[in-house]
Amino acid sequence: MNVDIQSLGTFNQLAHEGAEEATRSMAQMTGIDAVVDVTKITLLNRDDVGEELTGREFVGVQFAFDGVLEGDTVLVFDADSAATIADALVPGDSPDEAMARSGVKEIGNIMMSGFIDGWADYVEATIDHSPPEYIEKSGADVLPDAPTDADHQQVFVFKSQIEWIDESVNFYIYMLPEYEPLAELMMEQADTEDDAIPIDKLQTFNEMTTKGTQKAADNVEMMTGIPTDAEVTQISFAPITDVPKQVGTETYVGTVVEFTGTPSGYLMVLFDEVSAVTVAEAMMPIEMEGDELTDQHTAAIEELGNIMTSGFVDGWANVLQTSVEHTPPRVVHDMGRAIVDPLAAQVGQHQEHAFIIESEMKTEDIEFESEILALPNEKELREALEALDVERANETQADVEQIFE
Amino acid sequence: MKVYDGSQSESTTQNAPERIKVGIAEYKVTTDAALLTTSGLGSCIGVAIYDELNGAAGLVHVMLPSAADIDGGNRAKFADTGVEVLVEALEAAGSTTDAMRAKIAGGSDMLDFSENGSSIGSRNAKQVRRTLEEYDIPIVGEDLGGDHGRSIKLEAATGELIVKSANTESITL
Repeated sequence: MNVDIQSLGTFNQLAHEGAEEATRSMAQMTGIDAVVDVTKITLLNRDDVGEELTGREFVGVQFAFDGVLEGDTVLVFDADSAATIADALVPGDSPDEAMARSGVKEIGNIMMSGFIDGWADYVEATIDHSPPEYIEKSGADVLPDAPTDADHQQVFVFKSQIEWIDESVNFYIYMLPEYEPLAELMMEQADTEDDAIPIDKLQTFNEMTTKGTQKAADNVEMMTGIPTDAEVTQISFAPITDVPKQVGTETYVGTVVEFTGTPSGYLMVLFDEVSAVTVAEAMMPIEMEGDELTDQHTAAIEELGNIMTSGFVDGWANVLQTSVEHTPPRVVHDMGRAIVDPLAAQVGQHQEHAFIIESEMKTEDIEFESEILALPNEKELREALEALDVERANETQADVEQIFE
Repeated sequence: MKVYDGSQSESTTQNAPERIKVGIAEYKVTTDAALLTTSGLGSCIGVAIYDELNGAAGLVHVMLPSAADIDGGNRAKFADTGVEVLVEALEAAGSTTDAMRAKIAGGSDMLDFSENGSSIGSRNAKQVRRTLEEYDIPIVGEDLGGDHGRSIKLEAATGELIVKSANTESITL
């Protein structure tokens, strides 16, 4: 089953415009000045959907939709901001809970109608949706169950983040379509076979990356003694100009390498500053005074970034049966988006959209989070996937255990 | 967070200029003294142009040197067409190029892996300069290059461009 880059691009654009339409409807009604920050299509394991929402309380509305596309979609935002939303609707009074709830529902209804209508217009077919249902849940539970499909462990999720300017309120729109109707629709929209992406192989690739991340997590554990788990591995597709927005505006510490081969590209291992200090000190023989990031910390991060990168890249090379080499790591300590920006620009010289491979690792015990972000050359990734024959991929899945041992 | 409590919110609205975010490969123009911001400039460049006479101001966040290298797409993504589209938008807002002044920031060489040839950051800077020169718009302030990222704020009311880096003090151009 193949889709092409162009239709992935079109569908991403569609989700983005839908979110913008939804945001405009809201702005008209409330005067809230908001912008759609980023929209991406992500392929990930069903169980990992909404992982990024963990530990937060959300309110919002949910719809089911039906027609050429089937599935569920939600608009959610932080529960704490419900009062702010209600206040925007009815300024002045201190809103009570019932008012806040009806405000949320009203905004949700307007936004989501705009969102779904945009899709229907584009595919020139009807998409019906159910009446909005008010929801109030924590973490990933706020999202509808990912559609089940015996053939596919992974699902496509369309995710838009909307930022309310001047307020610390973020909205999220998640759309979880059934795999088959979506894949069929994307294939129908495809114009050319030239840049076909085999989706099934993307899934295989994701599984392989998970193993690579686990290996990288094991390396962290070995060097620091901190039990570390690979959390989520996903592959996303977004316009190149949205790539830097994959990380926050806060300061990160980490390493960057360029890798060459099939595919070529860039790989970042990033820690937030607190995590960087924690993880670096776990590697050092002596106690450090203060919690500032010092040169010793940075040297430790460099070493760690290097072994994480090697584990990850070697994993790919083995799976893809190609040779992937990488440069020595360069240490970075800067604004997250500014780190990704020059890399996106390099890749953007040859392509309009990019695949972004994201892995995360976390520990329960202490404050430590790390992200691995890879930005491969799209054409070369496509070639590598083509060369990955699915039968061999199945064998590799068994082999992979040995590869990463 | 704004405080929504009657009297206060009114004065907040009056005093604080509107804040307008400019994303990557986007441009925005204001004629009512808004604050234009863009963040996470690595090799990208923020080109701020303001009109000393009529108070109009605009900011574009360009990513790559030249539109000629790539087919079609968004003009604000490239240094050459990005400056053009911003100048046109300011002209549409009643400005003339004679009264326009430019301040530019970004174009860092950080994470430049190219072994030969110049970095995207320096090529972006070169292209921005060339295009501004074609319009005879003087560059009256700049903070370019280096190996660090930047975030910038343009105060349309004064034409001041505040440049922030992760590891150093802010500077005002």
